[in-house]
Amino acid sequence: MENKAEKKVKFFDRVKNNDYYIKWIKSPFTYVAAAVLLAIFQIVTLAATGNPWGVSGVFAYWGAWIYEAVGGTVDKWFYFASPGAQATLDAGFMEHAGTWRNIGIIFGALAATFLASGFKIKKIKSKKQIVAAIIGGLMMGYGARIAAGCNIGALFSGIASLSLSGWVFAVAMFFGAVVGSKLLVKFFM
Amino acid sequence: MNEVILDCLGEACPVPLVKAQNKIAEMNIGDILIVQIDHSCAMKNLPEWARKDGHNVEVEEVDDGEWEVIIEKLK
Repeated sequence: MENKAEKKVKFFDRVKNNDYYIKWIKSPFTYVAAAVLLAIFQIVTLAATGNPWGVSGVFAYWGAWIYEAVGGTVDKWFYFASPGAQATLDAGFMEHAGTWRNIGIIFGALAATFLASGFKIKKIKSKKQIVAAIIGGLMMGYGARIAAGCNIGALFSGIASLSLSGWVFAVAMFFGAVVGSKLLVKFFM
Repeated sequence: MNEVILDCLGEACPVPLVKAQNKIAEMNIGDILIVQIDHSCAMKNLPEWARKDGHNVEVEEVDDGEWEVIIEKLK
């Protein structure tokens, strides 16, 4: 028994110092490598699901399903009024490609963090962080829905589809980020 | 030679980077700044900025998901 444990420790010690582990799993990829991978996988997404990649739209459906599960109805809501949206809602959680993709992103990110042994539950440093996170989250969610897309659906997939709206979104986001950075320096420095 | 520790644990990007930039600006040449971080993207942008700025940089993994970026101010 003891022998086995010893062997295990040695195995993980070996992995830790393995060149390929350090290069592919432990170290972050360069921005360029990550960008190329994102481009390839968004093409895969488009080919496999028939829709460009989007993230935040899925959360609106999750919200609708949760609301329906507790007895509410969104039939009369403008956002879900289209036959396509109704069909997606009726087909349910299990039949929704975007749902599975988002779940995949969450667990994939978790796995990557574990594999690089970078997992840590971080402490909340100040109440300001909580307030900023809640306000920021609400504004991002609201903004993404009235813009019919977030930085993935509207910006990344928009530009990839050669749509002008993606570039308009990029310009607006740039100025929004400038204002956001100023606020961040003002409240968090 | 001075050694300054900057606690940026629990702080998200770009706060650690801006804090380090402000701190380095008020330090003397030869001083050492140790930035404690637990946000993996700071582990990338902090050393990148410091090297571009011409300082000596070393990154040490002190624990799971916790790093110290050690910057020696050179100019």
